[in-house]
Amino acid sequence: MKTKLRNLPLQVKMMGITLSVNLLVFMINIVLLFSINSMADKIDTVYRANLELNELSASIKAVQDNMTEFLNTKTSDALEDYYKSAQEYEEMVEDLDSGVSEKALDRMQRSIKNMSYIYLNEVEQTIEAKRGRNVEKYRERYDDATKLYGYINTYIYSLNNEQFKENSENYRGLVTSFRRFETAGNLIMIVVIFANALLILKLTEQLIRPLRNLKGMADEVAKGNFEIASLPVEAEDEIGVVTKAFNKMVVSIQDYIEKMRKSAETERELKEKELKMEAHLKDAQLKYLQAQINPHFLFNTLNAGAQLAMMEGADRTYEYVQVMAEFFRYNVKKGEKTVTIGEELELVDNYIYILNVRFSGEIHYEKEIDSSLLNVPMPAMILQPIIENCVNHGIRDMMGEGKIKMSVYRLDDVACICIEDNGIGMDQETIEHLMNGTPISSSKKSSNGIGMDNVMARLKLFVGSEDVMSVESEGENKGSKFKIYLDIKETDDV
Amino acid sequence: MKKVRGYLNSIIIWAITGVLVCLTGLLIFFFISYSKTLRKTEQKEHYDKYYAMISTDSKSSFWQSLYKSTFEAGKEKNAYVDMISENLSKEYSETELMEIAIASGVDGIIVEANESDEMTEAIHKAYEMGIPVVTLNTDNRKSERISFVGISNYELGSEYGKLVLSMATSKPFPDESIKVVVLVDANADDLGQNILFSAMQETIESASKVIVKPIEMSMFLVDESSNFSVEESVRNMFIENRNDLPDIVVCLNEIDTTSVYQTVVEYNDVGLVNILGYYDSEAILKGIERNVIYATISIDAKQMGQYCIDALSEYLEYGNTSQYFVADVSVINSSNVSAYREEEENENKAP
Repeated sequence: MKTKLRNLPLQVKMMGITLSVNLLVFMINIVLLFSINSMADKIDTVYRANLELNELSASIKAVQDNMTEFLNTKTSDALEDYYKSAQEYEEMVEDLDSGVSEKALDRMQRSIKNMSYIYLNEVEQTIEAKRGRNVEKYRERYDDATKLYGYINTYIYSLNNEQFKENSENYRGLVTSFRRFETAGNLIMIVVIFANALLILKLTEQLIRPLRNLKGMADEVAKGNFEIASLPVEAEDEIGVVTKAFNKMVVSIQDYIEKMRKSAETERELKEKELKMEAHLKDAQLKYLQAQINPHFLFNTLNAGAQLAMMEGADRTYEYVQVMAEFFRYNVKKGEKTVTIGEELELVDNYIYILNVRFSGEIHYEKEIDSSLLNVPMPAMILQPIIENCVNHGIRDMMGEGKIKMSVYRLDDVACICIEDNGIGMDQETIEHLMNGTPISSSKKSSNGIGMDNVMARLKLFVGSEDVMSVESEGENKGSKFKIYLDIKETDDV
Repeated sequence: MKKVRGYLNSIIIWAITGVLVCLTGLLIFFFISYSKTLRKTEQKEHYDKYYAMISTDSKSSFWQSLYKSTFEAGKEKNAYVDMISENLSKEYSETELMEIAIASGVDGIIVEANESDEMTEAIHKAYEMGIPVVTLNTDNRKSERISFVGISNYELGSEYGKLVLSMATSKPFPDESIKVVVLVDANADDLGQNILFSAMQETIESASKVIVKPIEMSMFLVDESSNFSVEESVRNMFIENRNDLPDIVVCLNEIDTTSVYQTVVEYNDVGLVNILGYYDSEAILKGIERNVIYATISIDAKQMGQYCIDALSEYLEYGNTSQYFVADVSVINSSNVSAYREEEENENKAP
C-alpha cells in the first residue's frame, strides 16, 4: 500500500496533498457552520414561542368577538365565523403543553389549555342558550365565558411576558456561547491554517528530498568526484526516474573515464619505449665518438711521435708534436674545471703555435698581459674557442696578414681580457646571436665541439651575471673585439 | 543522517495530521457537549399532581415561607405547588384566583380562606368540580373544604395571655391599669379571633390574684380589606389616641406586627408601647433584638406545609382526611432569639 502510494506520479501526489489539506479545512468548516447554524436555529425558536402566543391571543379574541357578534345579531354569518374561530382556537390549544413541570411556562400553558376547554364549552353553551332563546341562561353563560376570557387573556399575556423574560435570558446565554464558539472556531481555523501550511511544507519537503539529494550528488560529480555511492530510488515517480538516469549516467561516466585512462597509459608506455630506444642510440653514438677521440690515446700517441722526432733529431717536429700533446692534454684535464687566466693564456699560446705551424705563420699574435692578473680564476676552455672563432670567421677569409691581439688588464675591480682581430668583422645580427648565446646555424663546424654559445653560457654561470662578455665590431673588414670581464676579488682568496 | 531526517519529517507530518484530527474531534466534542448542556436546560421534571396555593398577601415572608415549606413537602410527593398569583401580570382577588385555579383544572387548592360567602361559594364550586380545597392559616368553616391547617386560636390566645401576664409582672407600667389592645381583622367575621380573644382573657383572669394592676383588654379593628389599609389603620390608632396609647399591642399577623413595630419606632414610643408579635420574619426578629418587640409567636411553617400536602394526598388517595391539622407554636423573645436564629441558619444550611 505504502509503496503503491509512493509510486504515484508527482502530480497526483501534489494533488493528494492539497486535496487532503483542503478536505481537512472543509471538514472543520462544515463542523463550524453546522454548529453555528444549529445555534442560530435555537435563537430562532426562542422567539417563535412568543409569536405563537400572539396568534393564540388573536384566535381567542376572534372566538369571543364572534360569540358577542352572534349574541348581538344572531346572524348565521357570525355563527359560522364563530364555529370557524372556535375550531381554529381549539386546534391551537391542542398543541399547548399539558404537563406539570418546574417551569412556570409549562404550568401556565397547562392552565391556559384547561381554561380554554372550559371556556370553549362555556361559549358553546352560551350559543346554544341563545339559539334556544333562553335569555337568562345565555346571559349567565356569557358572563362566565367573558370572565374566563379575561382570565385566559391575563394568562396568555403573563405567559407571553414570562416567556419573553426567559427567552431574553436564554438569548443572552445563547449569544454569549455563540460568541465564544465563534472565537473558538476562529482560533481553531487559524491553528488549522498554520498547521496546514506546515503540513504542506513538510509533505513537499518529503517529496523533493530526493531531488535535493540528486542536486547534492550532481554537485559532487561536477566537482569531479565520481566515487559516489549510487542514489537510492525512493519511489517510482518522476524523481525516481531522474534518479535512476542520474545513477546510470554516473556509472557510464566512470566507465568512460576508466577507458580513457587506460588508453592514455598505453600511449605513454609506447612513447617511453621510443624514448628509451633513442636514448640507447644516442648512448651508442656517444660511446662511439668517445672511442674515436679518446684524448689519452691521442696524446699518448702524440708523445710517442714527439719522442720519435727527438730521436731522429727533428727538433721542430718534436716541438710541434709536443705542443700538440700539451694542447690535447689540457683539453682532457681541464675540460670541466676552473683554471686561471695564466693557464688559459698558455693554452692560447699552444693553439696559436699549432695554427701557425699549420698555416705557416699567417697569424700574428700579440700579447699585452698584466701579470698580476694571471692568477684570476676563470672557467676552462674559454679563450681558445674565442681565438678559434676569430681565426675561423675573422682571419681565414680575409686577404692579407691576420692579426690577433690578446690583452689582459685591470679595470677597477674587474680583470678584463680583450681579444682583438683585424678580420672581416661581424654584422649586428651575428653579434646579437653571440650575445644571446643562440647558436648560429653554421657554427657546428668549430673544431673541438665547443661553440660560442657554450662559452657564453659557461661564463655567465661562472660569474653569475649577464654582462660578462661584450662583442664589438666596427663594421665589415674592421675586425672584431671580444671582451671578458672577470671579478678580481676572488683572486685574493686563491 | 538523511534517513534520520526523513524519519523525523514523517514523524512531524504524522504529528501535525494527528493534531489537526484532534482539533476537529475537539470541535465536534465541544459542540456535542454544548448542545447537551442546552438540552439539559430544556429537560424538565414532570409532576403527577398540580396544586394551587392562594393567599392575599402572598408576598409576605410568612406566606413565602409557608409556600416554600408546602412546595418542598409537595415535591416529595411528586406534586407541584404553585402560588398562582405569582406569575400573573394582573392582581386578582382570592375568589377570582379560586375560579382561575378551578378552571385551570388543578388537582388541589390550598387557600388562605376567610369566612366570607364568596369564599364559601368558591370552595363549593371547587368541590363540585372534584377539586379538594385545604384552608390554610384561616378557615371557612361553613364550606366543603376537606381540611383546615393552622394553629389553634385557643392555644394562641393562651400563649398571648401568658405573655401579657409575664409582662405585667415583670415590667413597670406607669398607669393605674394596663391597657392591652388586640388588633383584629375588621372584615373577618371570624370566630377564630373571638376564640383567641377569650382564650387570652381566660388566661389573664385565671391569674388575677397574681397581677398587681388591673388589665384592660380591648380590640382594635384593622382594615385589611385593601392593599395598604393595614398600615394606615395602625398609624391612625397611634395618631388618634396619642394621649391614651395602649401599653401592650397584640398583633395577630405578620403585617400588623411589622406595621406596629415601624410606627412605634417612628413615633418614638419605644418603651411606652410593648408589642406582642406574630411570626418570625427578619424584621420582627430584629425588633426583638432591639427590644422594641417584647415577644413573637412563631409558627412551624414547615409543619403546616407538610400538613397541607398530607391532607391533599390523603384525600386524593383515600377519599377523606382529617378535618383539622394543628401546627405547633413557640414563643420567641429576647432570651432565645439568638438561639432561634442559629437553629434557623443551620436548618437553611442543612439541605
